[in-house]
Amino acid sequence: MILFTRRVWGFRLIDVMGIGLLIALILSVYLAKTFAGRERGEIARVEGEISVEHQRVRLLQAEVAHLERPDRIAHLSSTYLGLGPVKFTHEIAPEALSSVLSATPPTSREAPL
Amino acid sequence: MSFTLQSLPIPNWRWIRDLVWRIEHAFERARAAGRAEDDTRLRIFVVLAIFSVGFVVLAVGAAKMVIFPDVSRIEAVSREGGLDRADLVDRNGEVLALDLEHYGLYLEPHDIWDIDETRHALRAALPDLQATRLDHALNSKHRSFLVGGLTPTAKAQIHDLGLPGVSFEPEQKRIYPLGGTAAHVIGFTDTGGLGLEGAEAAFNDDIRKTADSNTPFNLSIDLRVQAALEDELTKAAQEFHPLGAVGVVTNVRTGEVLGMASWPSFDPNHPGQATDDQKLNRAASAVYEMGSTFKAFTVAIGLDTGVATPESTFDARVPFHLGYRTIHDYHAAKKILSLVEVFQHSSNIGTARLAEQIGPKRLSQYFIALGLTRPAKIELKESAMPLIPHKWDDDAVASTSFGHGIDVSPLALSRAMGALLNGGTLVPLTIHKLPKDAKVVGPRVVAEKTSLQMLQIMRANVTGGSGGKADVPGLSVGGKTGTGEKYVKALGGYSQTQQVSSFAAVFPTDGDAKTDRYFVLILLDEPHGDSATGGFSTGGWVAAPAAGRVIDRISPFLHVQRQTNLASLVSLPKPANPGDER
Repeated sequence: MILFTRRVWGFRLIDVMGIGLLIALILSVYLAKTFAGRERGEIARVEGEISVEHQRVRLLQAEVAHLERPDRIAHLSSTYLGLGPVKFTHEIAPEALSSVLSATPPTSREAPL
Repeated sequence: MSFTLQSLPIPNWRWIRDLVWRIEHAFERARAAGRAEDDTRLRIFVVLAIFSVGFVVLAVGAAKMVIFPDVSRIEAVSREGGLDRADLVDRNGEVLALDLEHYGLYLEPHDIWDIDETRHALRAALPDLQATRLDHALNSKHRSFLVGGLTPTAKAQIHDLGLPGVSFEPEQKRIYPLGGTAAHVIGFTDTGGLGLEGAEAAFNDDIRKTADSNTPFNLSIDLRVQAALEDELTKAAQEFHPLGAVGVVTNVRTGEVLGMASWPSFDPNHPGQATDDQKLNRAASAVYEMGSTFKAFTVAIGLDTGVATPESTFDARVPFHLGYRTIHDYHAAKKILSLVEVFQHSSNIGTARLAEQIGPKRLSQYFIALGLTRPAKIELKESAMPLIPHKWDDDAVASTSFGHGIDVSPLALSRAMGALLNGGTLVPLTIHKLPKDAKVVGPRVVAEKTSLQMLQIMRANVTGGSGGKADVPGLSVGGKTGTGEKYVKALGGYSQTQQVSSFAAVFPTDGDAKTDRYFVLILLDEPHGDSATGGFSTGGWVAAPAAGRVIDRISPFLHVQRQTNLASLVSLPKPANPGDER
């Protein structure tokens, strides 16, 4: 067999091919693992950032909900702004706005100069 | 090796020994045959091939991992510290409850350098921590859990102390950002994340499953409706000082609970600090003799069975004897009343006469069909069993026809009332939001005609009867007052001063049977009348106004249009500023 009899640089061809294949395999495994490790690290880092941001978003949502508690808003608006529940006189259907505005006399601000 | 193999005592292993011997002496045999080189090359080739195959497999596997990363593993990593329970939100997506990352503090005594310093620092940082618990953890031989539920800020403060042996582990904690708002609907969990009360308990498994899909779990309540209901209930409670109070708002067509309030309330973030009385969901767990609100059922049954029509008359001039009872009217009209007038005057005599004509059998059958003899059909585990008569005889008929001798929960009353007002079908109540196109079905309990008649009669009670204080400008509100005297064991009978006062309202009463309608119940347990009510504490004085204010506030949220005359609206005087309008 030529693989076992032919020599290259004093080595049998089969040995050279074997060593070459071995080096190629070692390199490919090394590169694959290196890239995989790098990618995994990157994914973990991004996942970690997403997780932290997700937690922060949820914390903010909870804080917003806490600050917008209906009883708190009602207390603040009545204490500092003197506001209360909307009276029925302040309710109007959108389609009825024009008729109400035409029936209301213009205020001084709206009067022509 | 051959020595060892030869010394093997077991005969069955002889073939192994022979095989090894042949391999060991193969080179000698090949040299003897003049083919020693060939044999060596073959061996090397075989070994090389085996290693090559191994490396190729490893390389392919490594390349596959790089090119096609295992997504499930990455997800599994990101799920560490994931949610145990899904967020609870109202029907519009407003947050009601959510899991937030907190931290548990652990102590490793072997790593602590100075126990006294650690004890002093932790006591200062965690003033609520029990000294005995801390000492136990410090003197333990193993790593032990000290305290949980630390906020990120609290964790950072302790971490910055730089104490050796102190470590943290992330944990999820259930947070209720609205505090006491809707506390009885939402409920609460234990520290392990198991639902104990309210929706947290009712949907425990569903909430856990929903957490996997990272989507919130919608409850049926509308936070705006809930807030208005709680606000008005609290104001009524502060004015009339009852033992407790209940408010319920439902959609009678779908059975969805849009608001449910129980006063006094509590903070579900700290259920351990609340009393049992505060944690009691009076809407679901308490039963009351409702009083005259039950007349709506008796009148509806009379209409549905054909025993009476709205024009039928009943003699209410003198007290009526039925069974062992002599029945009087609270506000004696002392005249012959039509059925509508019986309802408007809330005449016990007229109602009892109607019930007598209906008879015990039919009355009890209708009460059973209306679900008044069973716990209210709703997901809440705390839905209470009613107290019903042992025997449906004339005495029971006389009592139950106007709401005595039968104790039901406010939710049971709400469900049965819904059947009278939605066209006649008994749909289950639910605190879970239904899809928009959901078709809710239930057994028919009264005819559609009866339902429409009841809407008109209840409307007549607000425009010209005992429910006048619940009327709202521009809205067709109907309702029935209820004032049930409480049975006091010490007295051995009913108290004249201790009452359960309620108002059961519906709006809008106009429209056909398919119209979306809303039921509102306000109930006060032992209210005290004040100067504004002339000392009266009946349902028409203490509950009806609150029900009217609730309806006034929630109708815009429910898209119920007011039938307001624009001319009268614009002619109303303008306030000096919006704040004066309260």
